[in-house]
Amino acid sequence: MAEDKSQVKVKFFTREQDESLHVQDTPIYAPISLKRYGLSEIVNHLLGLEKAVPFDFLIDGELLRTSLQDYLTKKGLSSETSLNVEYTRAVLPPSYLASF
Amino acid sequence: AEALEEISTPPRSVEESRELWHQSEISTAELSARLSEQLRLILEPTLATKLKGDYKTGKRLNMKRIIPYIASQFKKDKIWLRRTKPSKRQYQIMVALDDSKSMSESKCVKLAFDSLCLVSKTLTQLESGGLSIVKFGESVKEVHSFDQQFSNDAGAKTFQWFGFQEKKTDIKKLVAESIRIFERARPLNTGDQWQLQIVISDGLCEDHETVQRLVRRARENRIMLVFVIIDGISNNESIMDMSQVKYVPDQHGNLQLKIDKYLDTFPFEFYVVVHDIYELPEMLSTILRQFFQDLASS
Ligand SMILES: [Mg+2]
Repeated sequence: MAEDKSQVKVKFFTREQDESLHVQDTPIYAPISLKRYGLSEIVNHLLGLEKAVPFDFLIDGELLRTSLQDYLTKKGLSSETSLNVEYTRAVLPPSYLASF
Repeated sequence: AEALEEISTPPRSVEESRELWHQSEISTAELSARLSEQLRLILEPTLATKLKGDYKTGKRLNMKRIIPYIASQFKKDKIWLRRTKPSKRQYQIMVALDDSKSMSESKCVKLAFDSLCLVSKTLTQLESGGLSIVKFGESVKEVHSFDQQFSNDAGAKTFQWFGFQEKKTDIKKLVAESIRIFERARPLNTGDQWQLQIVISDGLCEDHETVQRLVRRARENRIMLVFVIIDGISNNESIMDMSQVKYVPDQHGNLQLKIDKYLDTFPFEFYVVVHDIYELPEMLSTILRQFFQDLASS
């Protein structure tokens, strides 16, 4: 598979009130192939929490539903641009909500 | 035809580039004298040249020649060593400036231009040999070649090629292409010829392992490579705090996420991090001195 090995500079931030969910605001050089799962894994790694917390990600207020690469392509950007990525605690999955 | 036009037309007008060059000259005039003085000490050979053989008369006997001398019934009589005249060490120096978009995104442009102006002007004053200026990003382009005479006007014209809009920073291509350019420029009679490359960049590049292999190959070809990282001027972030995501297989072959300091795997052994143009002369001479020390002890 000819995967694009490019990387992009990412800075994570959150508006969560809970201080234990805040990461340091230093930049991270990460593969552009990352999607929500991979990003969530990174934030959890940075937070070092005992129990993993699933996160959703937003760039410029827009929920990320694709890879970073697809986002950049859609916006006409390249991996030379650094990204400010917001994370929020993932909302409960629809199947779970339906059981209420 | 349109694509060709795009490649052959520099992104900046000659007037604008002259103005930018002029500004950089003003910003670096004082520093140039300082850098020149320091580099002269480092680049010029200070050691007396070694004794060399084989001569019929000379300063000291070459012990390796004595037995063949006797065995040959004293016919092979070139048994003396002489101190040969000191030769001026010649350098071909290439300055490579990062033209990728991350440079303009992180507001490195002014410092990048100042650095290029400072380094190229100083090296020309040293009359060290040829000077080449290269730009890199997605591709590599030589914007001033070794056989061209360098001048303020030539310098200004190189600025024309830097738009800092390239969508990739291909350091692998830069190193590979530089080796080829140096190879072509290397004179046939390579007595005391050294080739030095100074890369000026924000330091953001991928695939450190492959780059490192290429850097080693450059060194085998007697190309010295030093990397000047231009760092976080606009904001409070620094490449020194940056980390990097990697996925490393564990003993079961499952990829494990690892987050390390970015500079821990930076593929250039000789690099400096510069925040201000005033730091450049000191930093550059320090790293070059280190390089020569390392070379002498290896
Ligand atoms: Mg770049």
